[in-house]
Amino acid sequence: MGFKQGIAPYIASILICICALISAIIGSLGFAVAGILLAALAFGTSRKLVQKLAAANKQACFLDEKLVQSQKLASIGELSAGIGHEINNPLAIISQETEWMQHLVKRIGQGDSKGAAELQDSLKEVLRQVDRCREITQNLLDFARRKEPVYQEVNVNKLIDDLSRLVEKEAIRSRIEIRRDFQQDLPLVHTDAPALRQVVLNLLTNATHAVQKEGQIRISTKRAQNGSVDITVADTGCGIPKEHLAKIFDPFFTTKPEGKGTGLGLSICHGIVDRLGGRISVSSEVGKGSTFVITLPVNQQKETRGS
Amino acid sequence: MTAKPRVLIVDDEERFRTTMAKLLTVNGLEVTAVGSGKAALEELKSKPYDVITLDIRMPGMSGLEALAEIKKVNPGVEVIILTGHASVDTAVEIMKLGGYEYLLKPTSTEEIMNKIDAAYERKRTREQKARRSNGSQGAVVRSQ
Repeated sequence: MGFKQGIAPYIASILICICALISAIIGSLGFAVAGILLAALAFGTSRKLVQKLAAANKQACFLDEKLVQSQKLASIGELSAGIGHEINNPLAIISQETEWMQHLVKRIGQGDSKGAAELQDSLKEVLRQVDRCREITQNLLDFARRKEPVYQEVNVNKLIDDLSRLVEKEAIRSRIEIRRDFQQDLPLVHTDAPALRQVVLNLLTNATHAVQKEGQIRISTKRAQNGSVDITVADTGCGIPKEHLAKIFDPFFTTKPEGKGTGLGLSICHGIVDRLGGRISVSSEVGKGSTFVITLPVNQQKETRGS
Repeated sequence: MTAKPRVLIVDDEERFRTTMAKLLTVNGLEVTAVGSGKAALEELKSKPYDVITLDIRMPGMSGLEALAEIKKVNPGVEVIILTGHASVDTAVEIMKLGGYEYLLKPTSTEEIMNKIDAAYERKRTREQKARRSNGSQGAVVRSQ
């Protein structure tokens, strides 16, 4: 960019000089003098313009960098607050159980026979809370680790059908019906099968949680525009309030009770679909249900794959 | 006025609220624990409380919504927010809504006890002042 901008005034001036020389050769001296003057003027003006353009470009690059940097800092801030909250709750329980065990040890020392069973219960609770912390950190590592996709030709209908039957076994107990509506001539999709399984399973599990009892989950596929396929997971569950929809894919955003969800599932799904070259969207109405749509390219090209 | 503060713990994390209730009870407090803001409002209708410890992130009614409702039902009760989620904005909102104190989980029982004692002391002082003020007004009315 800098090199091209640097030579532009010289080229302009040389061209005008050539015009002037040609004019001189054909005998029009006045026109030649005017041409040379014009060349000098053009050289000076275009040089100034190029300098201004370069300065503006440098300023724009600097602002872009600042913007990216501030977005990064904002993300780190949100992430830290989320981690703090998720880890602080199990830590609070561990801290309390430890204090309670200290109290129990004293009671046992004074001959309280019931104290031993309570002590055992508190120790088990500490281990449960350590597991909860481990799950959070494991999810975080999964979130941070960008696994390189391994692309294969995948029969999406078959993949989704297998997963929906797996979830159905659990769903049936809560009287949740799973309906399948697959487009039969769907092309094979060039994608990463385990990654897609993770996303679909997450959406299906979320749908069963949203419905809770006696409802319906509809999973469908169809050929979409621009050589893509759509995978839709719709439920008749509680729905998502409007004010939450914009945050639904943010890390640590959850509406589930404490200890029931880390708020990383959908952000992980979003990251995976993005790496697979697709996109994920959501629409919802409180009291009626939610619909998640994954749009995946059929032929994901090598050059567009995420690193 | 009872010598021991009557404390209501509001936290959706069952294990947290039950163990905290046991720890505060062995420390001599009169404690009840409930799992939601809605349950807390019901409990306040049935029994008087001096101090409430309230979680922020709860499904259904959030801690901040619960705090606003609690202050409508019982403006005199002191509310200590006990949460794992630290944020300056939340702290400001709590103070605006009339919350007494903001404690970050995990914290020790000793720390919670200190805050409850201070909140209870404040409630008693405020009530004594109100009684004195009502008494002096009564005296003025009688002298007229």
